[in-house]
Amino acid sequence: MYGWIWRHLPGNAWARAVISLVLALAVVYLLFQYVFPWAEPLLPFNDVTVDNGMAAVR
Amino acid sequence: MTSEKRGGRGPIAATISVIGEILITLGLILALFVVYSLWWTNVIADRHEKKAGQTVRQQWAQHPQIPAKGLDTKDGIGFLHVPAMGKNYEVLVKKGTSTKVLNEGVAGYYTKPVASAMPWDPTGNFTMAAHRDGHGAKFHNIDKIHLGDAIVFESKDTWYVYKVYKVLDQTSKYNVHVTDQVPKESGKNQPGRYITLTTCTPVYTSRYRYIVWGELVRAQKVDAQRTLPPELR
Repeated sequence: MYGWIWRHLPGNAWARAVISLVLALAVVYLLFQYVFPWAEPLLPFNDVTVDNGMAAVR
Repeated sequence: MTSEKRGGRGPIAATISVIGEILITLGLILALFVVYSLWWTNVIADRHEKKAGQTVRQQWAQHPQIPAKGLDTKDGIGFLHVPAMGKNYEVLVKKGTSTKVLNEGVAGYYTKPVASAMPWDPTGNFTMAAHRDGHGAKFHNIDKIHLGDAIVFESKDTWYVYKVYKVLDQTSKYNVHVTDQVPKESGKNQPGRYITLTTCTPVYTSRYRYIVWGELVRAQKVDAQRTLPPELR
């Protein structure tokens, strides 16, 4: 998978390394900005209130 | 044929290698999620809480004639000081305990299932919740609060000094009675002026709730210099 991506990037090894880094950072940005905030409330790690089980915390 | 040239790998080896890479990627994403939950959400929430707190203090300074009771609670009603959770510890208190409110790095006072009383009410229980981990983690050190410790709520014009009289280190998350106006589980039977802090426990999970109860000792007017009460010095 990563080998396939590497072979399809343009330029020499240095250019490919820089593009790879940019792509990796873009993925981390998307995860932190969109994916994790969406996923977090679905996971049972951070409910702090007492409620009557009617999903009052959501 | 290219895969044959690269090392003579067959289709099975190539498939296994792709599966392996996917598994490694999933592991990295999970690790990143931990970084996000325990660090990045704190950065965001702390920034937000600090800004909101400054807004509240500015509004207080700009409108000295409005009494604390009449204040719009949109930005927050005041600040909670708990010396046991760290010197100079303070957190903004806002209305509501929804995920959206608590994720701003504040403590929220309950509006449901049992509505909180306000500290300036003649009797009642001032109940609130905040995150134990992530999103500011304002109640992370709640286990450092012991019997007799001071909890001070700062409104626009009054310091409300409470003294902790009961700690419940584990209870069900459905135990809404801990936020009753007369919290019987803490041993009280008479209406009084109480404060209740709730958060999740053990750390990094939401299995149980941790409860701290306090009772008002005295209310002290805020002077022009906003001199701290002795409990916070």
